[in-house]
Amino acid sequence: MIWLTWRQHRQQALAGAIGLGLLALVLFVTHVGMAGTFNSTGLASCLSNPGRDCGALAETFDQHYRGLQFLAALFLVIPLLVGLFWGAPFVARELEQGTYRLVWTQSVTRRRWFSTKFAAVAGAALLGATAYAALVTWWTQMFVRIHASRFNPGFFDIRGMVPVAYILFALALGVLIGTLVRRTLPAMGLTLAAFVGVRVLVNIFARPHYMAAKITSFPVVPKGGGILVGGPDLANGWILNQVTVDRFGHLAYSGGGISFSPMLTSHCSGLIPPPPALPTPAQLSQCISHLGLRTVTTYQPAGRFWAFQGIESTIYVALAAALFLTAGWFVRRRIA
Amino acid sequence: MNTPIETTGLSKRYGRNWALRDCSLSVPAGKIAALVGPNGAGKTTLLHLAVGLLDPTAGEIRTLGESPRENAQVLARIGFVAQDVPLYSGFKVKEMLELGRHLNPTWDQELALDRVRRHDIDLDQRAGTLSGGQRAQVALTLAIGKRPELLLLDEPLASLDPLARREFLGSLMEAASESEITVLLSSHLVTDMERVCDYLIVLSSARVQVLGGVEELLATHRVLTGPRTDRDHVPGWEVISSSHTERQSTLFVRGAAHILDPAWTAHEVTLEDLVLAYLAQPTASALPGPLGSTRRDRMEAPA
Repeated sequence: MIWLTWRQHRQQALAGAIGLGLLALVLFVTHVGMAGTFNSTGLASCLSNPGRDCGALAETFDQHYRGLQFLAALFLVIPLLVGLFWGAPFVARELEQGTYRLVWTQSVTRRRWFSTKFAAVAGAALLGATAYAALVTWWTQMFVRIHASRFNPGFFDIRGMVPVAYILFALALGVLIGTLVRRTLPAMGLTLAAFVGVRVLVNIFARPHYMAAKITSFPVVPKGGGILVGGPDLANGWILNQVTVDRFGHLAYSGGGISFSPMLTSHCSGLIPPPPALPTPAQLSQCISHLGLRTVTTYQPAGRFWAFQGIESTIYVALAAALFLTAGWFVRRRIA
Repeated sequence: MNTPIETTGLSKRYGRNWALRDCSLSVPAGKIAALVGPNGAGKTTLLHLAVGLLDPTAGEIRTLGESPRENAQVLARIGFVAQDVPLYSGFKVKEMLELGRHLNPTWDQELALDRVRRHDIDLDQRAGTLSGGQRAQVALTLAIGKRPELLLLDEPLASLDPLARREFLGSLMEAASESEITVLLSSHLVTDMERVCDYLIVLSSARVQVLGGVEELLATHRVLTGPRTDRDHVPGWEVISSSHTERQSTLFVRGAAHILDPAWTAHEVTLEDLVLAYLAQPTASALPGPLGSTRRDRMEAPA
């Protein structure tokens, strides 16, 4: 069985290895340039001092390397490729070309045929996925530091251990759909749709609720430019919702802080000069404390990053296991 | 030794259509059995049931004494060549043999290599580029290399030209006589089977219509010709079919008695005559049991 698995999948394995090698090459080369800029511009040392405003430096860096952002999209797509090219043809091609009648009538039971092949392919996928996830996690570090947003889906979904879980899920999904649809091409199409569907649904509906969100409330303080901000620095945390309320709990602004507006003038008549005159910072502070404006933030703290990674990975690995078992059952009992 | 194939009330339904219905038959050990019938009669279904690729809807099938679906170990003792001889087209011939060697504990590599060489097949050629005859030989080699007790072949002749057909059957006979295996091969080409088969199963519209040893079947069937008569009745014989011209009547009959009426001239039948006569009369059947009794008679008879 091992021999047959290797003979049937060696091309896919080779393609995967070459793809991974090319990716590693691109990442290493670009990383050298990025790290140079990161250190030489002083961005690195700026970011290591908490509280310093590195906005301008970060923006320059961001703009300089914007071209590389397409890679982030590629990182999101890679698990899908495994599902499409390794998963979908796994059983479907045997059914499509009729070779299941050959291979399932040798002395090897279907159970062994399926589990050996799947174990080998999933093992290879696991190995490749781990290397790939480690590479991407390492490569994106600078961006994560600049944006202080490990929870941003653009980063969360391509770093840590979730990419590995996505790959296993995509593989098992492709295998099951191929088993049910029995033809490779339609199976690939359906795998694509199902994978994207599940990922979007989990991201939107499940992930925010893995752990009970924390709520924090801070007084609004004025900041330059007529924008008033509130709340502490929730760097790297995942802000789910932020609203500004007055001392009675009424919604004053659906967002963090409050933007200076005629509304504020009408509520603070006497404290703020009528438009078009602009209030001084002192006048604004008076108005804010008069209204008792507070920003209420619902968020997942930065420290939960790995817990969230663990929960999400568990979900996808469990899904992959369920899909694998279902596909195995269909292969043993229902097909042909 | 277990009966190679034995079915009782075996039925298989796809949706609303019965591919095989209430099929009871057995193939005795050591026979080369032909499974014939028109397309769609259920030949492939029967073979797939025998090798566990399908699950019966009702009834039971035992292959070498085991249920192939419940006890997949029996697969090691069955050689199977599916219709259109599926091979991995990207595999070289030697890799197809490697497949056989790795997937079968009883594999005989010497035998397999020898067979392939004897048919002048290049071991390094890809299976996808082989001719129809070569494909069939490689597939047969895979099945025989297992050293099976039972060989099942689904329409192995369909894609072969007459010469390749003859050669294939010849090599099949040779392999069967060398290792005393039971062979069941399906075909809709009756003439080819006559030379090699000693047992016959005729399937027609999902049912077994004829079952028995070829010699015995040929001995118990006659074509009678004589002057035109309206009486489709010959004492001691069952009339399967009759045709009449203005001056002559021709009857296809089954039985064993002497023909007393001098008006009739009896002719021996060929296997093809026999198969065609039965296929033309879907209600007639020749099954083991008291001679002259049709299926309906037996079903109505008290137990």
